[in-house]
Amino acid sequence: MKPVRILTTVLLAFAACAAHAAELRVLTHSSFSLPKARLAAFEQQSGVKLSLIKGGDAGEMLNKLILTRANPIADVVYGVDNTLLAKASAAGVIAPYSGAALKHKARYALGEGVVSTDYGYVTLNYDKAWFAKNKLALPASLQDLTKPEYAKLLVVQNPSTSSPGYAFMLATIAGMGEAQAFDWWAKLRGNGVKVAKGWSEAYYTDFSRNGGERPLVVSYATSPAAEVFYSKDKISTAPTGNLFLKGGVFRQVEGVALVKGGKEGEAAAKFVEFMRSPEVQAELQTTMWMYPVVEGSTTAPVFAHAAEPGFAAEMAPATIAAKGGAWLKRWNKVVLR
Amino acid sequence: MTIAVVSPGAYSRRALALLPLGFLFLLALLPLGRLLLEGWDGVRLELFADDYLQGRLLWSLAQAAITCVLTAVIGVPLAWVLARLAFPGRALLLRLMLLPFVMPTLVAGLGVLTLFGPRGISGLNLQDTPWLLLYGNLFYNLPLVVRASVDGLLALPASRLLAARSLGASPWRAFWRIELPALMPWLSSSLCLVFLYCFSGFGLALLLGGQQWATIEVEIYTLVAYELNLADAGALALAAMLVSATAALFYAALEARMAVPAKTEPLALLKVNTLRRRVLLASALLVLLSITGAPLLALLARAATVEAQTWRLLLNEDTALALFNTLRFSLMALLLASLLGVLHALAARRSTLMRAAAFLPFVVSPVCVAFGLLLLYPGWTASLLLLVSAYALLAYPFIAKSLAAALDALPPNLPAAARTLGATPWRSFWRVSWPWLRPAFRRGLAFAAATTVGEFAVTLFLSRPEWLTLTTLIYQHLGRPGQANLDAALLLSVLLMLFALLAFAAIEWPEKNHAPDR
Repeated sequence: MKPVRILTTVLLAFAACAAHAAELRVLTHSSFSLPKARLAAFEQQSGVKLSLIKGGDAGEMLNKLILTRANPIADVVYGVDNTLLAKASAAGVIAPYSGAALKHKARYALGEGVVSTDYGYVTLNYDKAWFAKNKLALPASLQDLTKPEYAKLLVVQNPSTSSPGYAFMLATIAGMGEAQAFDWWAKLRGNGVKVAKGWSEAYYTDFSRNGGERPLVVSYATSPAAEVFYSKDKISTAPTGNLFLKGGVFRQVEGVALVKGGKEGEAAAKFVEFMRSPEVQAELQTTMWMYPVVEGSTTAPVFAHAAEPGFAAEMAPATIAAKGGAWLKRWNKVVLR
Repeated sequence: MTIAVVSPGAYSRRALALLPLGFLFLLALLPLGRLLLEGWDGVRLELFADDYLQGRLLWSLAQAAITCVLTAVIGVPLAWVLARLAFPGRALLLRLMLLPFVMPTLVAGLGVLTLFGPRGISGLNLQDTPWLLLYGNLFYNLPLVVRASVDGLLALPASRLLAARSLGASPWRAFWRIELPALMPWLSSSLCLVFLYCFSGFGLALLLGGQQWATIEVEIYTLVAYELNLADAGALALAAMLVSATAALFYAALEARMAVPAKTEPLALLKVNTLRRRVLLASALLVLLSITGAPLLALLARAATVEAQTWRLLLNEDTALALFNTLRFSLMALLLASLLGVLHALAARRSTLMRAAAFLPFVVSPVCVAFGLLLLYPGWTASLLLLVSAYALLAYPFIAKSLAAALDALPPNLPAAARTLGATPWRSFWRVSWPWLRPAFRRGLAFAAATTVGEFAVTLFLSRPEWLTLTTLIYQHLGRPGQANLDAALLLSVLLMLFALLAFAAIEWPEKNHAPDR
């Protein structure tokens, strides 16, 4: 074949791939997951084709949306949480929503046009076997973690590159106050805290449950339940446990919103309602490992292992947006530099 | 000396360059420029007065330079053994060596930590030390240098070496005076790549060495993706690119000077029949095994402990879709990369700048390009066209580089003779030059395949669930807690290795000992 002909063939093949029919573009973070059948049912009922676009970690995803606001890459966005809410709102990427989804009674609301769909808690997890084997008492407070007997036992995520890491940093600031929190972080550094890039790195290379050497990890309150769900032999007790310490628990509320300048407005609104439907609220528990926000939702049986903490750090989204950047810089200086 | 490869004129060479240059412009330079423009108003030069950032920049340089030295010192002797000695499984070993390239960072990290982690098999805990970081760099980069050096040694005319030997040169002296100089163009080109990879890399090294060893690219990534601080990111990216562009230009100038056309007469491989050769071979294999083999074997060992029922769990439509997509995207990307690679190599024959341009995809900051593409083509960002083009962008330099080296070695009299005998330029290229170039093309293609299957930049771009590939499926499993997820990730990594090995075999199989067809 002559080069010209090869070139034409290649270009035609690409052009064919690029052509697409009218569809609803949904931007999500990389953890978004719902059963295929559920998504197919939505397509059938709403008459639009869903085009799911994964934009990376939640923070990264929002930045991609902000960067392209003049020419939005999606019509709906899922995964904006209370740590990102004010930033999204200030950047003007969210369109107001006032439809049927708001009729459901929700445990936690987000506002600013974002309809809450689910929530979770960023908290410490511990490796039960490790603490039993080493006959060490569990730390009773965050202050305990700065003591010599807990030296080099904790791995956290870098708040600059990980949303649970960011939420955990915010929890310590909300719990102790800014000055004391950074004091605590400095002591923690002296006590050998390990910083991993993201959740996967921390959980699968540093956490003692998976071959690392640290029995304490920043994770989610649902992680022990997921350990049971994804265990090989159907175990009845979780190998890991939640450690709810004051100042070490952050409630993360996630939601779905219309994108300003997005197309397919009617279908987009339907998708917002879909995310609050009883089916999705029930299924998201074991596909995304979050708690359903709509009151009266069916609870997955395995969530018996995911008891909610009685308390969590509260922080206004506006405060997070105003000070988050400076806190990150300070954290970086105190813990890494 | 005028060499007619396709057609002699500078005019047609420029025409050949149009496609690859246009591609580079649209997919690398323009997005980069667009992103820099976005943050241009806020650029502050005081940024560079920051000790911390200076430290990052220096460290990035230092670890890249150290890795280059280490890979050269370890890689060249290894290459000599692999190129000169005959032993069973030699051809297979040369293919296996490309496997590190395919492994997703986190999986490779799991393998390395199985060996040198807190509960590692070796009993040595090197986690969070610079040693493990350098080991990670060697794991990924040593194969590049060894493979290139093997090719260089095999391209050496047998007569030159035999002449030196018959004039009384010891093997050692013959190596220093004949083989090493002939090897230099191949070696320096691979070292340039190693430098660029390490300088702008932020995956495995960071995972193994800890956050305090972050490279400048990590800072750029954080600034762009998480802080949207495009002004500082742009300034840092420009500084980093200045360094890598200098490296690329330096290499290109060097290569253009070193290019010597030579007729290849493959040397017969030496039989391993003396004690000395046995010791040489054994130690070379041991070094290779402990650097590139061990982490992969550790992964296989871990995967072997996974119960059979987990294998059955993988027999689902997700795995099938991932396999199908990996195959489909690799093929599409390789098709595009081949076209670009061939044209670029032909156009780069006489131009140093064009040679350096082949390294451009590794010079530009990946995160800046990824975000620049978003700004530039918002309507196309979630399209397959862009994804495949991005894969091709990172893959085609291997083909271009390999072909350019083979073109340098092409004796000018061959195509010239064909033209004199009345062959059209196209026919002369197809019947005379191409058979000569084909082995080099296949070698480049194998590396290109490794990068597309391994999907270097997969996490930077927008993705779609229906584009599930083996790599993204592995990352999906590692994004959730639970033993079954870890097991699935390990098994899928084994599947990825098998897939890659089949791909390498399909690409390079027909050749027996890497000597050009004649």
